Amino acid sequence: MSDDIDENINSLFQRLLPLLSSVFFVLFSYLPLDFMFLKSIHPAIPLICAYFWLVHRPDLFNLWSICMLGLFDNIISAAPMGSSIFAMLVLYVLTNAASKFLTAKPFVVLWYGFMALSLGTILLRWLIVSIYYSRFLPLDGVFFSYLITVFCYPFISLLLAFVQNHLIQDEE
Amino acid sequence: MKRRRSLFLHLSHIRLLAKKFALVFLFLFAFALMLVNKTDTVLIEKTSSVVTDVVSPMIEVFAIPAKMIAHGYDYFRDLKQIHADNLRLKEENRKLNLLYDKFKSLEIENRLLADLLNYVTPPKSDFITARVIAEEGDAFSHSMIAYVGDASAEKGQIAMSDKGVVGRVDRVGHVYARILLITDINSKIPVMTESSRVRGILSGDNTSFPKLVFTPLDAGINIGDRIVTSGVAGVFPAGLPIGRVVSVSKNEIAVKPFSSLEQLEYIKLVNYGLEGLLHDDGRPLNGGAADE
Repeated sequence: MSDDIDENINSLFQRLLPLLSSVFFVLFSYLPLDFMFLKSIHPAIPLICAYFWLVHRPDLFNLWSICMLGLFDNIISAAPMGSSIFAMLVLYVLTNAASKFLTAKPFVVLWYGFMALSLGTILLRWLIVSIYYSRFLPLDGVFFSYLITVFCYPFISLLLAFVQNHLIQDEE
Repeated sequence: MKRRRSLFLHLSHIRLLAKKFALVFLFLFAFALMLVNKTDTVLIEKTSSVVTDVVSPMIEVFAIPAKMIAHGYDYFRDLKQIHADNLRLKEENRKLNLLYDKFKSLEIENRLLADLLNYVTPPKSDFITARVIAEEGDAFSHSMIAYVGDASAEKGQIAMSDKGVVGRVDRVGHVYARILLITDINSKIPVMTESSRVRGILSGDNTSFPKLVFTPLDAGINIGDRIVTSGVAGVFPAGLPIGRVVSVSKNEIAVKPFSSLEQLEYIKLVNYGLEGLLHDDGRPLNGGAADE
């Protein structure tokens, strides 16, 4: 009986691990660190995490996980409520549409895939937030944020790969 | 067997349909949140304040080891600078001592002249010092979260560093407050140039350089002019330093804040008790007969 409960808890934890690890990295991205080029513009960590898990473990990171991560990021951020969720849903749709080109592909292909899909996502978010404020936000900030996000992708995905390989055990 | 198979197909269809509906529903949910945020700010503010109180301690826990690493990196980086800094500070100290003597005599002269003119002194302020625990800077918003503890932080209070205004308190939870930085797109501050007293509005646009708007075209604003608060609207008192003009073109005047907004560890939340800021229902936030 006790073993069953332990097993259920462990199984639940395993299923939630992609979302939990993403939340961890999102929290980390809000730390006030004065570090090199990350001073004024922070990378869009939620996009990196969502893309990684959607490509590698879509079975453990579904639509609701995407929505929860977007909502969590939106709550911490001062950006218009709903805009992060919107961006995450756009990324979900784009990644699903491109899944046959991304499944079981080498890292470089996945990185190129992230470059393309995150550009579309960030631009659509820029458009929706610009409509919200009834004025266009400066595109140079958006572009710089995109470049930093793409640059940070390999580092964050390396850490997420560690979580995937060492902490998530596949059920036999 | 055939019936079971058709039932199975039926269920899978329903599941697929539900999945598609869920996606549409969540998109609608995101749009609805944006609409609510635009129209009913009180609900969003209250919810956000509560959640910020829950989430902020988690960020604080991560901040301890991360800051130790960052401080270690800063320590070794700064070691190289120490000798040059020491020489510069000695020279600066000598000049400051001379200035201090001059300041003392000017202070006495100023007091005597103010008494002669029956001058009304600016409002007295009280402040609390808060530690910055999280910061956000991307293309969509610029804000930070500060730990205020049991001290009474209020919406609208001015956030200042040692160099000048950095923003204002936007949302207040039980122990944490969200500060909207002057670079955020929602920040609008009445300002003026310190020397020529030309008025305008300093408007954030989510870049590092907020823009000066609503200034006359022939105002004669030049690069290097200091920008201070004008005191118009009664939210900020006049004369608080903000930044310096760094570019002037036909279409825009860009201002660089005096404070490095990305390097703030502690900020001062100052309450001047001014009545310019209103509650969401229109009552004055500070003082006034209608106040609670």
